[in-house]
Amino acid sequence: MPEVRIIAKNFMDMVASLPATKLDNLYHNAFICEAILRSLPPLAKKYVLQMLYIIEPIVTTSMEAWVAAEGMSKHRVAIDKLVQLRLFTETVDRKRETTYRLNPTFQKNLQNHILHGGVLPREPMKINVRLPSSADLDAYASGQWESFLLHLISSTEAEATRNISSSMMKIFQRGLLSQRDREAPMLTESGFQFLLMDTNAQLWYVIREYITHCEERGVDTSDLISFLLELSFHVSGEAYNMNTLSHSQGSIVKDLADLGLVKLQQGMKESWFIPTKLAINLSISLSDASSRKQGYVVVETNFRLYAYTTSKLHCEILRLFARIEYQLPNLIVGAITKENLYKAFQNGITSDQIICFLQQNAHPRVAEKVPSVPENVTDQIRLWESDLNRVEMTPSHLYDEFPSRDAFEAACDFAREYGGLLWEDSVKMRVIVKAETYDHMKRFLRQK
Amino acid sequence: MVNIIKGLYISCDIPMAQFIINMNAALPHSQKFILHVLDDTHLFVRSDMAGSIRDKISEFREQNTYEKPA
Amino acid sequence: MGHGEKGRPSKRHKAKEDHRAEEEEVYYTEDFEDINQDGENKRDFTKLELKPDHANRPLWACADGRIFLETFSPLYKQAYDFLIAIAEPVCRPESMHEYNLTPHSLYAAVSVGLETETVISVLNKLSKTKLPKEMIDFIHASTANYGKVKLVLKKNRYFVESPFPEVLKKLLKDEVISRSRIASEGNDGFTISKSLGEIEGRHEELLNEAQLAAAAEEKEAHAFEVDPAQVENVKQRCLPNALNYPMLEEYDFRNDTVNPDLDMELKPQAQPRPYQEKSLSKMFGNGRARSGIIVLPCGAGKSLVGVSAASRIKKSCLCLATNAVSVDQWAFQFKLWSTIRDDQICRFTSDSKERFRGNAGVVVTTYNMVAFGGKRSEESEKIIEEIRNREWGLLLMDEVHVVPAHMFRKVISITKSHCKLGLTATLVREDERITDLNFLIGPKLYEANWLDLVKGGFIANVQCAEVWCPMTKEFFAEYLRKENSKKKQALYVMNPNKFRACEFLIRFHEEQRRDKIIVFADNLFALIEYAKKLKKPMIYGATSHVERTKILEAFKTSRDVNTVFLSKVGDNSIDIPEANVIIQISSHAGSRRQEAQRLGRILRAKGRLQDRMAGGKEEYNAFFYSLVSTDTQEMYYSTKRQQFLIDQGYSFKVITGLPPPDTGAELSYYSLDEQNKLLTKVLTAGDDQVGLEILDEDTDDVALQKARRSMGSMSYMSGANGKIYMEYNTGRNKGQMRSKPKDPTKRHQLFKKRFV
Repeated sequence: MPEVRIIAKNFMDMVASLPATKLDNLYHNAFICEAILRSLPPLAKKYVLQMLYIIEPIVTTSMEAWVAAEGMSKHRVAIDKLVQLRLFTETVDRKRETTYRLNPTFQKNLQNHILHGGVLPREPMKINVRLPSSADLDAYASGQWESFLLHLISSTEAEATRNISSSMMKIFQRGLLSQRDREAPMLTESGFQFLLMDTNAQLWYVIREYITHCEERGVDTSDLISFLLELSFHVSGEAYNMNTLSHSQGSIVKDLADLGLVKLQQGMKESWFIPTKLAINLSISLSDASSRKQGYVVVETNFRLYAYTTSKLHCEILRLFARIEYQLPNLIVGAITKENLYKAFQNGITSDQIICFLQQNAHPRVAEKVPSVPENVTDQIRLWESDLNRVEMTPSHLYDEFPSRDAFEAACDFAREYGGLLWEDSVKMRVIVKAETYDHMKRFLRQK
Repeated sequence: MVNIIKGLYISCDIPMAQFIINMNAALPHSQKFILHVLDDTHLFVRSDMAGSIRDKISEFREQNTYEKPA
Repeated sequence: MGHGEKGRPSKRHKAKEDHRAEEEEVYYTEDFEDINQDGENKRDFTKLELKPDHANRPLWACADGRIFLETFSPLYKQAYDFLIAIAEPVCRPESMHEYNLTPHSLYAAVSVGLETETVISVLNKLSKTKLPKEMIDFIHASTANYGKVKLVLKKNRYFVESPFPEVLKKLLKDEVISRSRIASEGNDGFTISKSLGEIEGRHEELLNEAQLAAAAEEKEAHAFEVDPAQVENVKQRCLPNALNYPMLEEYDFRNDTVNPDLDMELKPQAQPRPYQEKSLSKMFGNGRARSGIIVLPCGAGKSLVGVSAASRIKKSCLCLATNAVSVDQWAFQFKLWSTIRDDQICRFTSDSKERFRGNAGVVVTTYNMVAFGGKRSEESEKIIEEIRNREWGLLLMDEVHVVPAHMFRKVISITKSHCKLGLTATLVREDERITDLNFLIGPKLYEANWLDLVKGGFIANVQCAEVWCPMTKEFFAEYLRKENSKKKQALYVMNPNKFRACEFLIRFHEEQRRDKIIVFADNLFALIEYAKKLKKPMIYGATSHVERTKILEAFKTSRDVNTVFLSKVGDNSIDIPEANVIIQISSHAGSRRQEAQRLGRILRAKGRLQDRMAGGKEEYNAFFYSLVSTDTQEMYYSTKRQQFLIDQGYSFKVITGLPPPDTGAELSYYSLDEQNKLLTKVLTAGDDQVGLEILDEDTDDVALQKARRSMGSMSYMSGANGKIYMEYNTGRNKGQMRSKPKDPTKRHQLFKKRFV
């Protein structure tokens, strides 16, 4: 079974694909500059900082001279990234040499930012009301996000999220759920894989879909992106007055509340929003794929599973590949069985994804151990998967009784060129070609 | 004229090939489905056999696997 | 799982009319939700209330009797001791244990002196949530009758004793019991005496003062006497399937002035280990000797427990073993650990007909010798008479889960003993008459935790591995053919790839590690073929005693004899010296006991303690390999068999790719020609020749033959230290080896260096 990975496109790819003028516009915002800087691979970061105060273009060859031979591939990756984001402008100068220069807008704004610090377009409010504690806020954020996810994967499960319209939900569900008439929506392969991704990856997936959708509705993408990145520089737990937001920003914030990125509150006269840790993590997690949340799963050598959680979402996720047996106030007990694993494999989930999930979510008690998930369990999961793949069947055609050896060989070559050659027997002058190449083969043979 | 036969190309390991061959051998002549045994790990069989071969393999696999009941 | 199932409560919708009158029919009425999604049996206990300090408490208790225990809790040790006394272990791996509370396990709890309220209150204290009402009710219901009645042998008179006179009255309404009663001087009332209450020291910190006080109080015991000849009948009438007041048997040996004392002590150098002490404390908790069963893994020192018990009781002891070699071993152990003199202990086997001098002593014999119903020699007859007539203080029974139940009944009915102690490594029986045992001998007194013993360095840390050997094309083709259905086992055992793997392992362990290796094979054909081909000594049923001794001596002492092939005889009748590698090439119909016993061959911890601890150079110093031919029935049996050890916390590594693909003719059966010759041999051998060995003297065969319907035994153990094999576990499989890898990178993962 071919591995289908959900395309968790890097958010930065989306940024990079903005038209040139829009991208340049983004760089007027110092916070965006900082966020983008954070998201770069380490070598690229280094280059940006080195070029920060250099006005003259630098010849590429002299840049390459900085790099040791074994680092060349990393160098290329870094340069590519910088060019893609229009941070480096590449020009061929009069001497016919290629040079790089740091994007002037970006440069100026980053310089300012470094020297003077950034000033957000809004200040935290001074408020008399007691704001939620950070623990409360965290719980709120997790709760909202979880409820959103539950709603996402099964509209019957959770209470409906308030703001996100059902049309919006459908956008998110696109690709994750499949709807057949009169049937309940079911998770697709991508949907299953989505569930096993870590929170930050999931979050970015959703945001990306959100941005794409807003684009279709006519909201300016770069505005949206810049607002989101700006949001991540606010202080978690502080209240910001809603009246500091533009109209479109305001409605975005309301949507974000459903995802758990902000909490909305109403006072006597004013209303405000409070960013949660999910919002703050937005920029941190741009390049960092690792999840910082605490693990909760213990897998034992006898294939039994103990999850310290009560989350319905977690239960749903575990159910993807395990048989759930007991649910206690703070524990879910189950067993990883061949039957459940086979169902998972048939749904398009791979053993790697399952094992990765178990490892990344290992309970602190066992996370220290090497390996954090017992080896016999991970081995067995992989063995069971490979057991399913032992027989490969390809619809095809067998061609024989060629008039001559040349004809035979020509047919083989032809098939090979089209990538359809499965088997050739030069003694018996027989060749087997994939069915998808059949039409080409027929035409080819007819010509002879 | 070049002869063209439609069929299913099977690529697998040695035991599975043997299994399919045995499955074929047990059928009455009219139902035999292996068109060619290419080598120890490749077969060319009738094109409608994909489902039933997989089913039989699955059944065989079940027999050899013990799963602890709940 | 045998013993747990019977008592497992099932859910009924308040169906009292559905009441069956069998034993142990205590069912929960359900008040908990049982959500069925996708047909899964899911139990939803999320509504239970977590206590505020739940993080400090080590267990969850569910209404259906299931208990989960966190091993990393600071209260783990106490909680374990408590749980093992009141519940049956389901599985005990590293981080989380699971137990089942059953009427049976509660009976055992009460037998060691735990009272109903103590059980409930301690359980409550250890539980993260408030105990479900269903569980409390269940405990009450199950223990209502247990432990209320004791059978006491005092000054050679049998008394039925109870703190509750109304219970005694109830019993006496039964015809059998009332007929057995011996009234004292025409007085119809009960005799009254005082007896010491229980003090469970272990749980002191968990009980409050009031409860402690109650425990320490002297209790009044009412009693009536019964005719010694009728005791068995009285006991039977009290069983759960009749009056349901199963009797506890306790021997007040301190006050036994009639039976002569045996002056034996434990020697000072006999230092019982903590778990041995614990098991003894369960037996002697209140100053009397309780009858029951103690479960300890092989190699953990059962004999010391037996000898200690005998040394405390200090009365004549009859020790029963399964075979003559075992008799010798027991006699040796008695002399090793205690001050018993040579003239105080004797063996009674077909070869030795000794007698001890003096009034009291220890007799070691086999179940067979005592239960034998045929004609004996004159001398034997005399000895049996004496055994029959003597009042034994202790009946010490080894390997209780081996002996067929009917043999037990016979032995127990022939001999008169005050206290019965059964010793075993596993609570698993082939004929599934476990509950019978519990009432014939007594309840489980203690069960040690294998993993804890390994951690403590008391038994070896065994690396278990299942070595997957793909069938060769030709062998597999024959295996699949219907005509060969009787030869299936022979084919998968004689699989040339399996042979090569075996040969490889033997060479590896002999040459690289200088280990001592035992290869087990139930299949005689295979045993002989393998041993002959590899030129190793072998012992099976027909091997003469002289030959056996020679081979074993060489195995023990010679540097040149490092591998020996054993058939089933190796499980019983042989005194196997220490080995640290076991290779199983065939054992699919072996009894489960056999598996644990085989493991026991290498469980004896060797080397220094510190080396055996984590990180030491001997951390894994014992290896158990099970060689399995893939895509055959052998896989099924192998997995099934593993369940026992897996439940104790062991895990099996799967090893593929042995021998390494680049080995050629240096191992046998490399050429197709050789393989085909072997195949022909297998196919032409008679069907009876290629089967399992049947041993005449194997006491287990009776049970086995009956149990053949329930195939599939417990674990094998296979072990391989991945660290050792890392240099071999590379490359892809070619040719006759296992599957062409579909995705080479995936295959490689199986061979990557394993961290130990």
